Amino acid sequence: MKSEVERLKIGSVIAASIWRLVKVNPAVWAIVALVVIFSALVPDKFLSTSNLVAILKNFAVTSMLAVGPTFVILLGSMDVSYMGIWMFGGALVWLLYPYLGLASIAIYPIFGLLVGLFNGVVHVKAKVPSFILTIAVTAVLAFLTTYVRNISGVLTLIVPAYNFLRESPIPYIPSPFLLALPVIVLALFIMFFTKLGTYFCAIGSNEEGAKLAGINVEKYKILAFTLSGLLTGLGSIAIFVHLGCQTRVDFDPSELVRGLAAIVLGGTPLAGGMGGPHRTLLGALVYVLIFNGLFLLPGVDPNHLKLYVGTLLLGAVIAASRALKGALIA
Amino acid sequence: MGTLDPILEVRDVSKTFDRVVRALDNVSIMVRRNEIVSVVGENGAGKSTLMKILVGVYQPDSGEMYQMGRKVPFPRDPLDALSRGISIVYQERGVIPHLKVYQFLFLGLEEKFTRLGRLQLGKIIGLAKSVFEELGLKCDLASSMYELPPSTQKMVEIARAILSVRLMVGMDGEAEIIPVIILDEPTAPLSIEERDELFNYLLNLKKSNSFIFVSHIIPEVMKFSDRIYVLRDGRVVAHHDLSSEKVTEDQIFREIVGRESYYDLWARYVYSAGAVEGRRVVLSVRNLTKKGYFENISFDLHEGECIGLFGPAGCGKSEIAKALYGEIAADAGEILVDSRKVKLKSEPYARVKLGIGYFSGETGKELFLFWPIRKNVSIVNFDKVTKRPLKIISVISFNAERSLAEKIMKKLRIRAPNVETECYSLSGGNKQKVSVGKWLEKSPKILVLEDPTIGIDVGAREEIYEVLLEMKKNGIAMILVSDDPKEYAILCDKIISIRGGVIQATYTNEEFRRLMGL
Amino acid sequence: MAQAWLSREWLQRNINTIIPIMGFIALVIALRMANPYFLTSWDSVITLVYGMSWFLIAACGLTLVILMGSFDFSVPSVLKLSAMIFAVLYPSMGFSSIIVAIVVGLIFGFINGILLARFNIPSFMATLATSMVAEGLAQVISGGYTRMITDPAFRAVSTTMILGLPSIFYWAIVVWVICIFMTFMTPFGRMIYAVGSNIVGARLAGVNVKMVRTLVFMICSLLASIAGILYASQIQGAHMQVGVLDMIPLFASVVVGGTALTGGVGGVHRTLLGVLIIRWLDSGLSMLAIDLNVRMIIFGAIAITMAILTIDRRRIRIMK
Repeated sequence: MKSEVERLKIGSVIAASIWRLVKVNPAVWAIVALVVIFSALVPDKFLSTSNLVAILKNFAVTSMLAVGPTFVILLGSMDVSYMGIWMFGGALVWLLYPYLGLASIAIYPIFGLLVGLFNGVVHVKAKVPSFILTIAVTAVLAFLTTYVRNISGVLTLIVPAYNFLRESPIPYIPSPFLLALPVIVLALFIMFFTKLGTYFCAIGSNEEGAKLAGINVEKYKILAFTLSGLLTGLGSIAIFVHLGCQTRVDFDPSELVRGLAAIVLGGTPLAGGMGGPHRTLLGALVYVLIFNGLFLLPGVDPNHLKLYVGTLLLGAVIAASRALKGALIA
Repeated sequence: MGTLDPILEVRDVSKTFDRVVRALDNVSIMVRRNEIVSVVGENGAGKSTLMKILVGVYQPDSGEMYQMGRKVPFPRDPLDALSRGISIVYQERGVIPHLKVYQFLFLGLEEKFTRLGRLQLGKIIGLAKSVFEELGLKCDLASSMYELPPSTQKMVEIARAILSVRLMVGMDGEAEIIPVIILDEPTAPLSIEERDELFNYLLNLKKSNSFIFVSHIIPEVMKFSDRIYVLRDGRVVAHHDLSSEKVTEDQIFREIVGRESYYDLWARYVYSAGAVEGRRVVLSVRNLTKKGYFENISFDLHEGECIGLFGPAGCGKSEIAKALYGEIAADAGEILVDSRKVKLKSEPYARVKLGIGYFSGETGKELFLFWPIRKNVSIVNFDKVTKRPLKIISVISFNAERSLAEKIMKKLRIRAPNVETECYSLSGGNKQKVSVGKWLEKSPKILVLEDPTIGIDVGAREEIYEVLLEMKKNGIAMILVSDDPKEYAILCDKIISIRGGVIQATYTNEEFRRLMGL
Repeated sequence: MAQAWLSREWLQRNINTIIPIMGFIALVIALRMANPYFLTSWDSVITLVYGMSWFLIAACGLTLVILMGSFDFSVPSVLKLSAMIFAVLYPSMGFSSIIVAIVVGLIFGFINGILLARFNIPSFMATLATSMVAEGLAQVISGGYTRMITDPAFRAVSTTMILGLPSIFYWAIVVWVICIFMTFMTPFGRMIYAVGSNIVGARLAGVNVKMVRTLVFMICSLLASIAGILYASQIQGAHMQVGVLDMIPLFASVVVGGTALTGGVGGVHRTLLGVLIIRWLDSGLSMLAIDLNVRMIIFGAIAITMAILTIDRRRIRIMK
């Protein structure tokens, strides 16, 4: 049995860690501010149950795009292959469903893992800049998806058999969110309770120093890319379900920016070394709140989404640029 | 085993690089239980090669290694060295700024604290706490490394080295081994007070560990070591046991420098005391300050004068040089070139326009290694190699470029087939000549020199000095920052001694030579 | 230094010249075999010229940025935005709308440059954000509709026939030659290479790195604007699909020409060959009725392969 003193101690430790979280994560203030602003401007729309459920859903989708790549950004590299994994993975599920049945959903994580492994090996061994590499991979996979749709002569790559996944066992909690939860937990566990999180930070913070400390830098870089692919693959299931058990078939750059914006807004610097999936989750919430609230406001045209997304990303990277001072970068 | 028996010994170690450069020549050193052994020597004397052999980064060509009196093979790699009780703390780049203290302390050692893939954070933090208590370290385990002062960072690094030895050796079940921790220039980034703090810490740790202390700063070596090995040109030229002999700083200094071998070289450049009075002041520095690096630096530099900023590594001298050239920005004070004020935050290109040039021996940083000599020379001399057919367009004339480069190659005796030779294929000395040569024709008013002859042989050095002295004669003023006192004696008219970022004293060349025993 | 012909070293040093030339020869042979009428009629030449000219102008700008070791994702978006501005404003402003389009292009280039040089934001990130903004603006000013201009004067900018070739061909060649002249013969060009080769060294040698970076991004966006204007004139208007599928071919043609992503190696002169290869390959593949998406996949694969082959590993310490 725990003594009163110990319990007090634990309480203060928790309070201190919450305070620390708030102090080092400006995203928390942004979330509070956004909630207050939109509740004041459009209370009936913003605080309605259906809107809150929508926020939860969008949060699940955005965070699933961004959590995996966060591990790569910790290294100071970049991974934007999540779009490709999500899109073409869905096409694979559709293609394989006739043969594998319900088990074909498992192709998502496997495919993500393979793409991540490919990215990591090519980036590390052939020394191709990771951003260019992964964006090319995403583009190739996206075009492949469209191609699959075109040759199969259907409009959407929908797999209705998975519709049962759309039903949430808990009222008001949408099923994409429930499907995203294990991925979030896994990412947080890897970050805080295994050595991987520490190693990724160490490599991003000082690659040479990490090498001197006896870390096999190449191995862990490849591992980060693989992990990013795997988590994206797992998370894509939630997005797949969110879109009505289908995948996107045409490439939309604003979806690509969504993941990046969540990472940057969360406060993981692009130079690497600090931050992590916990920050990305906060960033994803900020992103979702901004766009959810924005389109509730009168006079905001959803057709101009790209303009808003671009401006937001621009603002976010400028705000985050303080962390990048010093070295001359490409 | 008696306390005087060596716990670690290497005999007759030799190492040659590229079949030509003899880095180590029959070097033997040993370490006893609970002592601090210093290895001193100039840059390039072979200190770091020896240390890299001890931790298994390099394999020696010949030699033997003994541990606890038993003959053992040389370590294969750093991990092997670690499991035998030898660990190293690198001079720089060892710290990982964004990690928390406890994360850094156990970096690379997590295997021992993992159960079912889960890191046992409680166990790690508990052990970290007890280690810190034992070693007398006081800092918050949860703060990030970059938040700590430099001296504490160094101490955590040392604690990490000790801890990793303990954990790795413990794995093999040989508890008898006493950790030997190699410290490679640990004081370089520290201020004077922080150095003392570090040394008190080391003296405390001596009770259970042995240290090899690599340095070129003689006073601190004298103060804290039990024994000293002096390395010069890859050989051990002297060995002193400070408990039984009396040695003076001067003596060690002379042994490091090797007065005889270099005497001829610098005796030819005996400074001729040309009076600087009456000459124009080209650069005046007034109360120049950058927080944490240097404070209230003031001096006047005359035409054709060379001022040396002298002091131990980390005293702020190279930061002053960088601030003068605009590589880093000073916080306060004034820099006046020809009594015109220079913006403290302006970039190097603005300084070049005002007539300040910069030359350092770090050719990897400064040269465009994959460019031909021609282009490397003309990058600062566009005004000499361009024509203006129209007012707004300037066109590079390749002929003018080539003849300029040829002129410089001839003057500096750069050994290369022709001006189209890519710089990476040149030898170190010739690279340095290209690097300094580009300023030759530019003739800036002021040339900032940072370690101009680092890592090149005596012959090439001589040639660089000749070039610099000729530039000086032609009225170019210079600021010199170096680690080599001889260089100051050869080039400088005035030497400003700096310690902890503050000017201590100003010497004339004669006074400086007397002081240094040159 | 002279190395024996066809020796290993010689091959390694010249790989980014050999591959494009061999590739080009192989491509021409393959196209001839696949289509006996390839390049036999003057009309087919003109079709190819129309396909390549505006593309070459945009690729020249991107080459300059890549030479500097940076990247610019906003090229196709700025191209689209300029085409859109030109087409939308032409009915009311006439040819002065060109000035507006170019100024907007320059502003985007300036923003890209400042984000990199002043705020130190990696260029791919900064230009990705600005490309979204440009896309958004194009959507806003056009309302998402296709703008057709039937005025023959509008069309004449690109399609006036001079010596049997359309004027857009001459525009492109002029831009290409100016870019070559600038990179090889002027101090500014030398500075671009200096920044791409060794940015620290360039700064120490007194190169105004911030200015060079900003100017190069401005030139890149300026060329994208010009390409957009000429393209709008060529197709008699602008629509939202302009430039959408151009990023991968543009990138591919720069690296296929032999300009390394690491910067400092290659040049604008090489880009012509890259553009020839990519555009001819494109037309060859579409002749064979190969799906657009598959074409893009092929270009993506070519681009990455060439990027891997041309990257100069001697100078990389840490690759992010």
